[in-house]
Amino acid sequence: MDTQSYLPVPPGVGKEENFFSLDDILLSHERLPCRLETKFPRLGFLEKSSDTRDIPEGTKMEMPLWVAKGLYEQKRRVLAVELPKVYREGWRTVFGADPNVVDLHKMGPYYYGLGSQMLHFDSPENPDVAQAILQTFIGRFRRIMDSSQNAYDSDTSALVERLDCLERALFREGQNGLNAFQRWEKGHAHLTASNLVINYRKRKLADMNV
Amino acid sequence: MDPSEVEFLAEKEMVKIIPNFSLDKVYLIGGDLGPFNPGLPVEVPVWLALNLKQRQKCRIVPPEWMDVEKLEEIREQERKEDTFTPIPSPYYMELTKLLLNHAADNIPKADEIRTLVKDIWDTRIAKLRLSIDSFINQQEAHAKLDNLTLMEINTTRSFLLDSLNCMYKLRTNVQPSTAAEKTMDY
Amino acid sequence: MFCEKAVELIRELHRMGDGQLPAFNEDGIRQVLEEMKALYEQNQSDVNEAKAEGRSELIPTIKFRHCCLLRNQRCIAAYLYDRLLRIRALRWEYGSVLPTNIRFHMCAEELDWFNQYKKSLATYMRSIGGDGGLDITQDMKPPKSLYIEVRCLKDHGEFEIDDGTVILLKKNSQHFLPRWKCEQLIRQGVLEHVIS
Repeated sequence: MDTQSYLPVPPGVGKEENFFSLDDILLSHERLPCRLETKFPRLGFLEKSSDTRDIPEGTKMEMPLWVAKGLYEQKRRVLAVELPKVYREGWRTVFGADPNVVDLHKMGPYYYGLGSQMLHFDSPENPDVAQAILQTFIGRFRRIMDSSQNAYDSDTSALVERLDCLERALFREGQNGLNAFQRWEKGHAHLTASNLVINYRKRKLADMNV
Repeated sequence: MDPSEVEFLAEKEMVKIIPNFSLDKVYLIGGDLGPFNPGLPVEVPVWLALNLKQRQKCRIVPPEWMDVEKLEEIREQERKEDTFTPIPSPYYMELTKLLLNHAADNIPKADEIRTLVKDIWDTRIAKLRLSIDSFINQQEAHAKLDNLTLMEINTTRSFLLDSLNCMYKLRTNVQPSTAAEKTMDY
Repeated sequence: MFCEKAVELIRELHRMGDGQLPAFNEDGIRQVLEEMKALYEQNQSDVNEAKAEGRSELIPTIKFRHCCLLRNQRCIAAYLYDRLLRIRALRWEYGSVLPTNIRFHMCAEELDWFNQYKKSLATYMRSIGGDGGLDITQDMKPPKSLYIEVRCLKDHGEFEIDDGTVILLKKNSQHFLPRWKCEQLIRQGVLEHVIS
């Protein structure tokens, strides 16, 4: 069956997360360099480099995005979030020159998602960051579309490896459309076993061999 | 949509057949069919035409546009113009496949027609991709899809919608709304 | 850091992107709930202390733990919800009877939910399409013919068709059967659709 019955909750992309989306939960687990602007009493055990009872003000440590978002306040200074390198000016210039040469999977893999999330934290650079990720998407779009539409037989793994999560999803969507059409064109209209069933069987065999 | 569903819709198109049997008018929910008289042309939906053809009950008369000269003209036109030219049938691809696969013996120069239709399809798909790319590049908000057929739109629909959705979200980032209320995600 | 266990649950599902159902991670859930209980208790005592002794410097810590509680809650809710989406899909891919190895991967509540879903779907299908009802899990693609040629991929035993005839589905045997009778078995990989 080509129509998938399991449709996971899609990621929110942009600034809003989808509460139930697995992708967004993993995205919000990405770590950000932070500086604490207040003392966190009795949480010293979270900071491995010291063995004090409290985490003192001014400590620099990495926090998952969800913590940073939860604690961050515009009016009160609780913590300051640093922009990860890929979104800073140096990299923005590289992306601006030719967005296609960059390995967004290695740099991400949630390049667009995390970039959009960074806009939650006040920074004078925010407009530039927003503009940079939009331009990167536009600049890389043609490649993703062309390869996903031509890739029926050719090997695209090298390209796909360098795509960010969002781009991969688009690439797969493009391929699905093309594959469905080409199957139809070749007249493969017969009923087939469910992919899920086939995958389950493969796993069972693999388990038996262990 | 699955292409087989698009094909299913195409099967409702009417086509002329020359039956070799006789049968009174048949009254169906979808419309009346017949009467059928040997040697007298009659219009029926494609699904019935193919069924009768498979049982050797009729000869199918190909649609007027399914003709080498006419298709060559369309192909030249399609290559010349930047926009999508009007196509003689909204189901040209599906009908070509169905009729050529099941009734090739009733269609003169079937192989040439197959190639021509494929050429036209390829030209149009290349155009479609080009226009999608410039659409994204120039961050347009709306596009005219005049003269595109269902099958053509269908090959790229979900890809295009997802891409536009991404672009919309990333654009919203650039123009933060003044009333940006803060929602909490943990 | 807190909430690592909860994210481990999410990763477990994320790794199986095709919709397979991993075994219900009872132990993982229990550990997350324990962490939540501890966080809640610590916060409660700190809140009391902050109130009674006016120690407002505890507030950032309290807020931090509160974030962790909400994060754990989100992960567990997403874990359970995504599993339900997978379980619902199983009804469409396998039919109403699931293989034992899959049922083993569900917890009691999930089995219960599956049965309820099965029932609602059956009730709905009986209520539409006139007297006989309508099986909406059939004809997922427009059918081309009423009968199709199928080959048996494994021994499946006896099989009754509409007119009451019973045929034996033996490995490698070939049959000409009503399409709607076979669709489910093809999906399950028992039969294979043969196109001449």
